Amino acid sequence: MAEKEAIVFIVDLSSTMTNCNSGRTESDLDWSMKFVWDKISHIVSLSRKGLCVAVLGLRTDETNNSMGEDPGYEHISVLQEMGPMDMGALRNLQEKIKPSEETMGDAVSAVALAVQMITDYTKKLKYNRQIYLVTDGLGPIDIDDSDLRDISAQLNGNGISLTVLGVDFDDPEYGVKEEDKPRLKTRNEQVLRKLVDQCSNGTFGTIAEAIDELDIPIVKPPRPYKSYDGQLSLGDPDIFPAAIVISVERYFKTHAAAPPPASTVIVKSDSALGESEAAESEVMEGVEFAAVKQARTYKVNDPTAPGGKKDVEFESLAKGYEYGRTAVHISEAEHNITKLETTKEFSILGFMEQKKYSPLLNLGEVNVTYAKQFDMKSQVGLSSLIQGMHRAGAYAIARLVAKDGKEPVLVLLAPDIERSCLYDIPLPFAEDIRSYQFPPLDRVVTVSGATLTEHRFLPGKELEQAMSDYVDAMDLSGYAEDEDKNLVDYMAIDEPFNPLIHRIKGAVKERAIHPTGPVPPIPEILIKFSHPPEDVVEAAQSQIDTLIQAAEVKKVPPKAKGRRQRETVKPLSGLDIDALLAAPAGQPSSKASAAITPQNAVPEYRRALSSATDLPQVESATKQMGAIIRDIVTSSFGGNADDRALEHMGAMREELINFEEPGLYNSFVADLKKRLLSGELGGDRREMWWRVRKARLGLIDGKESEVSEVTDEEAKEFYTSR
Amino acid sequence: MSNREPWQRGDDDEGDEEVDESNYKTQKDAVLIAVEVSESMLTPPPASSSKKADRDTPLAAALKCAYHLMQQRIISNPKDMMGVLLFGTEKSKYQDDDADRSVPVYPHCYLFTDLDIPAAEDVKALQLLAEDGEDEDNVLVPSKEPVSMANVLFCANQIFTTKAANFGSRRLFIITDNDDPHEADKQAKSAAAVRAKDLYDLGVVIELFPLSRGDEQFDMAKFYDDIVYRDATVEADMTEVLTSKSGTGLSLLNSLIANINSKQTAKRALFSGVPFEIAPGLTISVKGYNVIHRQKEERSCYIWIDGEIPQLAVGETTKVSEDTARTVEKGETKKAYKFGGEYVYFTPEEQKSLKDFGPPCIRIIGFKPRSSLPIWASVKRASFIFPSEEHFVGSTRVFTALWKKLIKDDKIGIAWAITRSNAKPALFAIIPSRDRADEESATPFLPAGLWLYPLPFADDLRNPPDLREPIQASDELVEKVKVITENLWLPNRMYDASRYPNPQLQWHYKILQALALQEEVPEQAEDLTIPKYKSIGKRVGGHIRDWEGLVEEEVAHVKKVSAGKRDAADDDDDDEKPKKRVKTESKAAGSGSQLSDPQLKAASESGTLAKMTVAVLKDVLAVRGLPVQGKKAELLERLDEWVDKNV
Repeated sequence: MAEKEAIVFIVDLSSTMTNCNSGRTESDLDWSMKFVWDKISHIVSLSRKGLCVAVLGLRTDETNNSMGEDPGYEHISVLQEMGPMDMGALRNLQEKIKPSEETMGDAVSAVALAVQMITDYTKKLKYNRQIYLVTDGLGPIDIDDSDLRDISAQLNGNGISLTVLGVDFDDPEYGVKEEDKPRLKTRNEQVLRKLVDQCSNGTFGTIAEAIDELDIPIVKPPRPYKSYDGQLSLGDPDIFPAAIVISVERYFKTHAAAPPPASTVIVKSDSALGESEAAESEVMEGVEFAAVKQARTYKVNDPTAPGGKKDVEFESLAKGYEYGRTAVHISEAEHNITKLETTKEFSILGFMEQKKYSPLLNLGEVNVTYAKQFDMKSQVGLSSLIQGMHRAGAYAIARLVAKDGKEPVLVLLAPDIERSCLYDIPLPFAEDIRSYQFPPLDRVVTVSGATLTEHRFLPGKELEQAMSDYVDAMDLSGYAEDEDKNLVDYMAIDEPFNPLIHRIKGAVKERAIHPTGPVPPIPEILIKFSHPPEDVVEAAQSQIDTLIQAAEVKKVPPKAKGRRQRETVKPLSGLDIDALLAAPAGQPSSKASAAITPQNAVPEYRRALSSATDLPQVESATKQMGAIIRDIVTSSFGGNADDRALEHMGAMREELINFEEPGLYNSFVADLKKRLLSGELGGDRREMWWRVRKARLGLIDGKESEVSEVTDEEAKEFYTSR
Repeated sequence: MSNREPWQRGDDDEGDEEVDESNYKTQKDAVLIAVEVSESMLTPPPASSSKKADRDTPLAAALKCAYHLMQQRIISNPKDMMGVLLFGTEKSKYQDDDADRSVPVYPHCYLFTDLDIPAAEDVKALQLLAEDGEDEDNVLVPSKEPVSMANVLFCANQIFTTKAANFGSRRLFIITDNDDPHEADKQAKSAAAVRAKDLYDLGVVIELFPLSRGDEQFDMAKFYDDIVYRDATVEADMTEVLTSKSGTGLSLLNSLIANINSKQTAKRALFSGVPFEIAPGLTISVKGYNVIHRQKEERSCYIWIDGEIPQLAVGETTKVSEDTARTVEKGETKKAYKFGGEYVYFTPEEQKSLKDFGPPCIRIIGFKPRSSLPIWASVKRASFIFPSEEHFVGSTRVFTALWKKLIKDDKIGIAWAITRSNAKPALFAIIPSRDRADEESATPFLPAGLWLYPLPFADDLRNPPDLREPIQASDELVEKVKVITENLWLPNRMYDASRYPNPQLQWHYKILQALALQEEVPEQAEDLTIPKYKSIGKRVGGHIRDWEGLVEEEVAHVKKVSAGKRDAADDDDDDEKPKKRVKTESKAAGSGSQLSDPQLKAASESGTLAKMTVAVLKDVLAVRGLPVQGKKAELLERLDEWVDKNV
C-alpha cells in the first residue's frame, strides 16, 4: 500500500513574477512553474486516489480563502481545493495560473493557510504532508518572531514538511548569489530561512537547483516480490534419509524494467463522440481518442476456394501445436498433455569451481535467496552452506521448479557471505547453445591447413602494445572520491538510468502539460554514459593517437562495394569454371548469345553478365530474364511462385547494380509494376506488388548506384504510388 | 499461455529477431541432405568383439544422422525446411510427379523426403528407414552404373529453386565415402564443376561430410575441391572440412553427428556492419550473433479440425475501433500513452523520435577490472560479437588486439550500444571468451571472441525485503559443508550445458510426435536435471548426518543464550517463537507483511483473518506472491486457499 499524501503548492502569481531576471528569457513565473508542473504532472501520471493536491495562489488580484476576512490573508486564493489530481484538474489549474496585477500578499500567511487546509483534510489519519512555497520573495511579509515560532510549531506538530523555493534566492552551496538584491527580498529571504530552520522537516533552496534536479529520473522500485517460498535441498529425504533441507524465501534481485507501452488509438469519429460518450465518460473523461481493438479472422487452405484460402469459424477451431508442418490438435481434456509434470523444488545437483564459471552463461534476471525468517535451523543451515561454498571456492548448480507444474530450470547458486544470501542465475540448457563456427582470433589457418601467426588479420607487436597502453589509460576504476574519501569507479552499478524509459516518461509528462509544445530534447543525464568521460579521454589522448596510428584501419569507401568488379569466384581448387565453359572447342563465342533457360535462370543470368563484354549482351540477357519473371508471376497460383519471382528479381537487380546498368532494371520494374497492377499478369497481383515493395526491389536510386538517374524521392514515390 | 505469471509478461524477445544481410530474401534456412548409396556405403564395418564397436554401415550411420538432424531441427528451427536426397540408387524419383510429365527425372537420384518443413510422416518414414532398416520400396539398392554428379547437383539445384525460393540460407549437405566419383571421366568431372558453380551462383552452400573408408584418407583434391566453395568476402572464415570416421572410442555415427551438429543451424547474424568505436577516432565494424538463446516450444495455435486432415488456421488481424467497431486503416492510427486516465498522443514521427538515440553503434567508454562486475549484475543473455572487414579494413586485427589485452589483464570494457536502428540503447560489459583449446577456458563450448553483456540499469535493480540479520553458522559447521561441497564436484568441476537437455522442451515435442503419428504417448519423461539423489546420499550421506547433528546443537545453543538474554532484559521481542505472536495478532496486523505462515494458519482457523484491514490483507498476499486485486471477500478467499494448500 502506497502511503497517502497531502501536498499544498503555494505559487506566487504577483506581477513581479512576470519579470525576466538573471539573463533568462522566460518570466520568473514560467520558469518556476516548470518545477511545479513537473511535480503535479508526476502526481497525475500516478493516478492514485490517496495522492491529494491543493494549490494556493499568492499575491492574486482577488482574495479567496477561508480566512479572507482576517487581516493579513488578503490576496491569497485557493486555486484548487485539496483532492486527487487528474488531467481535468490539471487543465483547470493551467487556466488559473496567470500573473496578477497585484504585488501585495503575505507568503507566511499562505503557509499558515496551507497548514490549515492540510489538517482539515487529513484529520489525524496517516498521511505524508508537504507544503511547497514558490516565490520571488518580493511581497511584504509582516511577521514577528513569535508568529514564526507558532507557525513552525504547527508545522512540526502536524508532521508537515515545508520546502521554500525562491527565484534567485542566494545559495552559496549551489553557487547562486544575486547581485543588487532589493532590501525587501534580502529581508524576506532571511525570514523564510528562519522559518525553515525552525521546522524539523524543512528545506530552503533556490529554484534553479530544484529545476535542475527535475531531470534526475525518479526510480521507485516495486515492493519485494517473493518468487519462491519453500525448501532448498541437497539430497532427497524420501530417497536417501540423510539430506540437507533448508527453508528459504527467494526474491527478485534484478528485473528488467520496461518502458511504458503505447496504445494504438484513432481519433474518435464525430458520430461516435455523441453516442458513446455517456457510456465511456466514467472510464476516461474528455477522451478525444478511441482505443483500437484487434479483430481476428481465421483462414485455412482450400484449393477449391478462390485464392486458395477460405475463412473458417472460430468455433470450428481446436487448440494445438505444430510438429514440423503437421498440425497436432489437443482436446480440451488433455490440454496439459505436453506439459511436464513437476513438483515444486529447489534442489542442488552438485558444485562447480568458481574460477571455472563464465558470466557469459547468464541467461537473464537474477534472484536472491535468504533463509526463512524466524526459522533458526534454516538460518544456521543456509549460513553454513553459504560460507562452506565460499570456503571451497564453489558455486552450486541447482534445479528449480518455482511452483508445482512449472517447467524446471537450472540455476547457478553463488554465495554472498556478507549479505548471507545466495544469488541464483539462470543457465542455458543444451538446446540453448548454438554451435556456430568461428575462425580462431589469434592465428590464421589457411585452406591447406597451415597455421600462420603473422597475417594482416593478426595484430603485430606494435598494435598489441598500443592497445594495451590505451586500455590501461582508459581505466575507470578509482575515478572519483566518495564522501568518505574512498576511491569509487566511474559509473557505479546503480548510477545509469534506462534512457528509453525516462525519455518516454519525460516526454509524455511534458506533452500532458503542453499538448501543443514540441517534444523536449533528451535530458543530458540520460545519455551521460553514451560517451567516455571527457577528462579521461583528454588524459589518454597520446595513447589514443598511438593506437590509431598502429591500427591502420581504413574505411571501405561505399562506392567500392557496388562498383567492384565481381571477382571471379573459384572453388577451393581454384579451377576456372568460366574457362571450362568456354572450353568446348569449335563454338568459342557461343556464350554471348546463350539462351537463358527458365529452369536455371539465376545462375545462367549471373554468368551471362559476368562474361558479357558489351551492352547488347546484357540487354539481351536482361530481356530474357524479364520474360521469365513475368512467366513465373503469371503462372503463380495463389501466390505460390511469388518467392521465386522475387528471387529472380533480386538477382537481376543485384547484377545490374554491379554492372552499372541500373536503367535496365528500372525500366523493367516500372513495366512490371504497371502489369502487376493492371491485372495483365494473370489477374489480381496486388499481393505480389506488395511483396515487391516489402522486399525493397523497386527502382535503383542514385544512392545504390551512382550512375542511376533516379532520385531518392522518385524511388520512394515509386513504392507509394498506385 | 493463460496462467502466465506477472513477471513473465512483456516483450522479452523484443530485438531478438535475426536479420539477414540481403534484405530481399526471407530469413529461412533450407537443408537438403544428399546421401550416397553405394556398395561401399552398404558394407558393414569389420566384425569386432568389442561391445562398443561400430555395427552401422556407413549408409545406416548417415541415415540415422539425417533422422537425428530432422528431429532436432523440428525443435530448434520449426520454420525451416529439410529434405533427404539419396543418390546412386537403382531407383529414381523426383518430386511427386502428379501427372505432370514435364517434371524431369534425374537418373539414380531418389528424393526420399522432399524439401519442406518436415511433417510427422516424413519423420516417421525416415525413422523406419534409418532406425529400423525397413526398406520396403528397395530404395537403398545401389545402381549398377555410376551416378553422374552433375545430375545430382542439378537435381539439388531444381529442388532448391522450386521449393525454397528466395530463402536466405540454402545448404546442400553431401554425405559420401567416395572421394573420386568420376575417376576416369574428365568430362563428367567438368560438368559437375559447372553444376556446382550454378549452385554457388544460386546462393546454395555445399557442405561436404566425407566418411573415411577404413584407413583410407578422403582426398578432397581428387574431386571435391572443384565442388566446394568458401565465401571470398570472409577470408578469415576458413573452417576445415572434417572427415568423419569411426575409432578412438567414437562410432562413425557419433563422429558424423558431431560434425553435422556444428552446421545444424544456419549462422545468422543478429546485427551486422555495426560500427564498434574502440576509442574516440578509432572505429571498426562487427557482426553480432545470438550464440546463447533460450529455446522455447512454439506457441500454441488454432487448428481447423472439420476438414479431412487437421489444418493450421492462419489468423489475420484487422484493427477495429473500439467505439464503432469500424475497420481502421493503418494511416488512421496514432500512438498514445495513458497518462492520468487520459491518452497523451504523439504523431507517428514524434513517437519514432522518442525512441531515437542515434544510429547503431557500439562505443567503448572505458575499462574496468573484471572483478568490478558483481555476479548478480545480469538482466539478459549476452550476444557474441565478431569482427568483419566489410566496412573497415583492419577490423580483425584491432579486435584481436583488444581481445588479447582483455584476456591477459582480466579486464572488461564498458560500452554504450545501440545495436540496430531504433533498438533500445543500453550499457554493456564487453567480456572476452577464451579459445576453445585454451585450458583456462571456462566455456569450451563457446567460440572465442568478445561478448556484449547487458548491464542492469538502476531501474532494473530490486531491493531486498526487510529481513533481520540471520544467525550465522559456526566454523565447524562451515567446514563440514566445505567437505560436502568438495565431494560433490560436477564432472571437470564445471557446468557443461550439453549434458542437460531442456526436459520440458523435449517432453513437449516427444508428446507431439507421438500424437501426430498416433503412437502411444510415453509415460515417463527423461529428465537429466533431476539431481542424482542416490549418488549424493552415497557420497556425502555420512557428512550430512553429521551436519544435521551440528545444526541441532547450534540451534539449541543459540536458543539458550538468547533465552538467557531475554530473561535478563525482560525483552518480549520473541521472533524465534512465532507461536506466541498469534496472541499479539492485533499488534502484528499493522505490518501484515511480517505475519508468519503459522500465524496465518492460526488466524485462518480461528476466523480472525476477516478482522484484518484490506491494506494488511494485501500486504500479506503480496509478500507471498499472490495477486492483490479484488474486494476484501476475494482477498480473504484467496488467502484462505493459499493457507490450506501451503501451510
